Amino acid sequence: MAQESTTDKNVPVIELRHVDKHYGDLHVLRDVSLSVARGEVLVVIGPSGSGKSTMCRTINRLETIDSGEILIEGEPLPQEGRELARMRSELGMVFQQFNLFAHKTILENVTLGPREVLGQSKEEAEKYAMELLERVGVASQANKVPAQLSGGQQQRAAIARSLAMRPKAMMFDEPTSALDPEMINEVLDVMVELARGGMTMVVVTHEMNFARRVADRVVFMADGQIVEEGAPDEFFDHPKTQRARDFLDSIKGH
Amino acid sequence: MSARTQSAPSVRAALYEAPGPRTKRLIAVGTVLSALVVAALVAAVVRQFYVTGQLAPRYWSFLLEWPTWRFLLQGFVGTVEVALTAGAIALVLGLALMLGRTSGPRPVSAACRLVTDFFRGVPSLLLIYFFFLVVPQYGIRMPAFWMLTLPVALAASGVLAEVFRAGVNAVPKGQVEAAYSIGLSRWKTMRLIVLPQAVRYVIPSLIAQLVVVVKDTTVAYVVSYPDLMQNARVLITNYDALLSMYLVVSVVYVLINFAINKASVYVAHRTGVKIIR
Ligand SMILES: Nc1ncnc2c1ncn2[C@@H]1O[C@H](COP(=O)(O)OP(=O)(O)OP(=O)(O)O)[C@@H](O)[C@H]1O
Ligand SMILES: [Mg+2]
Repeated sequence: MAQESTTDKNVPVIELRHVDKHYGDLHVLRDVSLSVARGEVLVVIGPSGSGKSTMCRTINRLETIDSGEILIEGEPLPQEGRELARMRSELGMVFQQFNLFAHKTILENVTLGPREVLGQSKEEAEKYAMELLERVGVASQANKVPAQLSGGQQQRAAIARSLAMRPKAMMFDEPTSALDPEMINEVLDVMVELARGGMTMVVVTHEMNFARRVADRVVFMADGQIVEEGAPDEFFDHPKTQRARDFLDSIKGH
Repeated sequence: MSARTQSAPSVRAALYEAPGPRTKRLIAVGTVLSALVVAALVAAVVRQFYVTGQLAPRYWSFLLEWPTWRFLLQGFVGTVEVALTAGAIALVLGLALMLGRTSGPRPVSAACRLVTDFFRGVPSLLLIYFFFLVVPQYGIRMPAFWMLTLPVALAASGVLAEVFRAGVNAVPKGQVEAAYSIGLSRWKTMRLIVLPQAVRYVIPSLIAQLVVVVKDTTVAYVVSYPDLMQNARVLITNYDALLSMYLVVSVVYVLINFAINKASVYVAHRTGVKIIR
């Protein structure tokens, strides 16, 4: 059965069904339902505090949910232990703060998962890691530690670290928000290339140009709810709801 | 966030403002004045010794004989053996207590917390009396070495558990989340990502605690274990040479602790140069 579902092109890679989550009294996710098809690029947008990060993090269970269901390729997300770790290894995650392992070199950052989780040999892991570092343009930094790299370089290395696990899908939580403006594009370029290569992606970002170029669909969240969704040009040019219009005005403002 | 370089300015450099000309003059005057005061104090002390006859050759001549030094050396070896064994036990036990407290199931966590707080709170001398006076009553006979080493180790393990825990808490949450997200298990995340960084944060505290271990061993006389201090006391009684002997022994202890510091800095550099956040 697992065999069937992984080969079935019609089963969404990621699916959320009526997901609810509270932080104490705060209702951060309200009946969120969403599905991401294979190869689809989904951009999530919305005001600060609307629950975008939380939603992203529930998908690989960095946050638990109160009710509802999360399915990965049709299978319920495991709740703990080895099964959960294996599922996480198949879903890439890129963080706003990069989160490269501070005490390891860039190359070690990228080879750690393949060696420790996938059981690859050092040579095998390093060969693929260098290919990936080449692809994201930081191969020359392979033997430095993260603190010696610029933010843009760190984020590209972090993307390579996720890719090294050959994930089924990747989540990006505001991957360019911590970057100096001149470094944003070098990271977005890598992501555009990934999207063109057919990677299934969930991207929380306010970069409208990126969304217009590669997103298949834009989801607008506010107060823990999905308020509106649609094709990027349609959403940005003709938002249907007042909330979305207000929000778009506010981010176009600066 | 712009490019960060490896040679991040140290806290000391950040707190220490380069002095201007007036400050430099003040520092020079201050240095000379304090040197004078120190010299005067030393002179007064030496004079007092002279007056009371402490400088008489009979208090010092035994220091020129080899058997004296051989005896002290034996004591030194005893101190080093106890300190190293106790330090090693304390490191392992402290780590285990911390891991149990932070990642164990609730009952284990509570137990580890209790044990940690107990060993941390009870004076090591009391623990030594416990091993010396109470334990034998239950028919458990232990060599003096262990009656000294175990309590010193237990006392230090409580503190070390807290030191390690502070280090683990200082590792940013994002490091753990990144480790989980590539599929590392909880244990591998702890072992490969959290602990190596945590230890680097707390190296200065670890050194400080090793120094405390060495100092704790000086109560060896309670269990008549022949450490440096105990042997020095024997010599003091034999030669009635309180001052000279204490002087020599304090210098040796200072040197031991100096060596610990140097060794730790060396180890830290060998293993931990790569990150300074
Ligand atoms: N660990 C937590 N404990 C309590 N409240 C939390 C926690 N994490 C997030 N929140 C709250 O949940 C709400 C949603 O947070 P979330 O980070 O998902 O928003 P976001 O849409 O990603 O916002 P931003 O654009 O600022 O990143 C916010 O009000 C936030 O303060
Ligand atoms: Mg967020």
